[in-house]
Amino acid sequence: MLIEHPDEATGLAIASGLRLAGYAVAVCPGPRGHGQCPLTGPAGCAPAHDADLVVCSLGYEHEVAREVLRELRTRYPDTPLMVEVPSDMDADLRELLDGCHRLPAPATPEQVVAAVQSLSGHAAVEGRAGA
Amino acid sequence: MRSPFHSEQEAFRFLLLLILGLLPVVLAAALGPTWLALAVLAVVLVILAARVAQLRMRKLRGLALPVKMAPPHMGSAAERRVLVVANDTLGEEALLREIERLACVPDTHLLLLVPALISPGARLTGAIDGLLDQARVRLKTALDRVGHGLVVAGEISEADPLQAIEDTFAIFAPDEVIVSTRSERAASGLEPRLAGLVRERFAVPVRHLVFEPGSAAREPNRDTEARYRHEFGDAAARKFGLKALAGAGILAAVLMSMVALVQSSEREEARAASQAAAEQIAALPPVAKMVVLKVIPEGKRGPEGEKHDEFTTTEFVVRAGQPQELRIDNTDEVPHSITAPEAGVNIVVMPGTHTYTLLVKQPGRFLWFCTFRCDEWAMQHPGYMSGYITVS
Repeated sequence: MLIEHPDEATGLAIASGLRLAGYAVAVCPGPRGHGQCPLTGPAGCAPAHDADLVVCSLGYEHEVAREVLRELRTRYPDTPLMVEVPSDMDADLRELLDGCHRLPAPATPEQVVAAVQSLSGHAAVEGRAGA
Repeated sequence: MRSPFHSEQEAFRFLLLLILGLLPVVLAAALGPTWLALAVLAVVLVILAARVAQLRMRKLRGLALPVKMAPPHMGSAAERRVLVVANDTLGEEALLREIERLACVPDTHLLLLVPALISPGARLTGAIDGLLDQARVRLKTALDRVGHGLVVAGEISEADPLQAIEDTFAIFAPDEVIVSTRSERAASGLEPRLAGLVRERFAVPVRHLVFEPGSAAREPNRDTEARYRHEFGDAAARKFGLKALAGAGILAAVLMSMVALVQSSEREEARAASQAAAEQIAALPPVAKMVVLKVIPEGKRGPEGEKHDEFTTTEFVVRAGQPQELRIDNTDEVPHSITAPEAGVNIVVMPGTHTYTLLVKQPGRFLWFCTFRCDEWAMQHPGYMSGYITVS
């Protein structure tokens, strides 16, 4: 699981819950953290490439956060995205989030973990049904 | 003696680098003069030193990646796994009490990780047993004191502390890391900035306990951690950079001196050779600017008492490639000659006084004789109508 969250403590809390649920995690502060986000440049993001799911809580009022989202969707179209979104989405963001799993903001770490588990459960059930 | 390499891959990479580094030196030594081989060696050493310095500085500065990783939780949901990283502070009473406290919490497992802090120099020479023994003694003392054998385990690591922690994540999967250091780095202690590096790299809570001898543990705030990071990271990298620069300067100076020494020795050899050649030339018989001689019929008495024709000078000394003037007064009525086929000389000496040029290109001693039929005995006897040309 790749968790994109600008707040370190919240990111760690989500990571802790997901680890308890049995997932290996990677936590990234996103483009506003220290260092250059590889998604905003030509290089790819290895954790995003390897992830089974990317949880994004980047706050989409900033264009750079939308750019990261756009890059994630373009470069890794097969990686599912779970995005924490505000209720008052503009049309552009609504279009960008088409096909993503949405989680109403603000979500607590427990809510994020529960949503991921629920999504994984669905995937497992769908997988079994398809088998 | 232990191998200084961590893996076969590392040893292979070192061998490959060694070959690539030595190849230009060997080629320069085989195809060029000694000073060129030394100059190439200097360039290779400087490149090698720069790369080592770059790696060391990168290590001191830490990672610039923002992503923290952690493996899945191990064991039941209630289980909590705590990794304690310490070396010289492992004997601190406050740390031992904290370990005891955690060991008493139900479903908690602890692993005491003691990096042996082996320096690259010690690793290279294999002199690491003392450091490992010291770490072993510290761990054993701590484990004996803490007890709780089922929930507290210990491990010594030969690897770099951060690498050792990363390795431990793969097998122990801690839910929390406690890094114990002093506020200043001791010779056999962990760097205070280690906690910050662990926090940057792993997605688990990290506690940093700082000890002064005999006092209680202190948890530094964000500013203090930033100061540790600066003092032991960026500042240390800058300091190391300056030292590396000074080292490179000294290395370059030593190598340039060696090149200069070799060149001077080569010049000295050349000078000695030229002096020897000059002395050899000086030892040769002197060459006259112009040789004046006569051809006199029946001018010299032979050993049998008869008078024979003669050249008054029959030994000519010349330099190879340098023309020698001969002023010959042929008092006979017929021509004579100075002929030396091996030296490519054939001077026809006409009656009367004339100036001729004697030129021989190759050194050696050549017999000459007169080819005009005159005094047959004299034509076959050097000193009469025959002689030698010595060319040096």
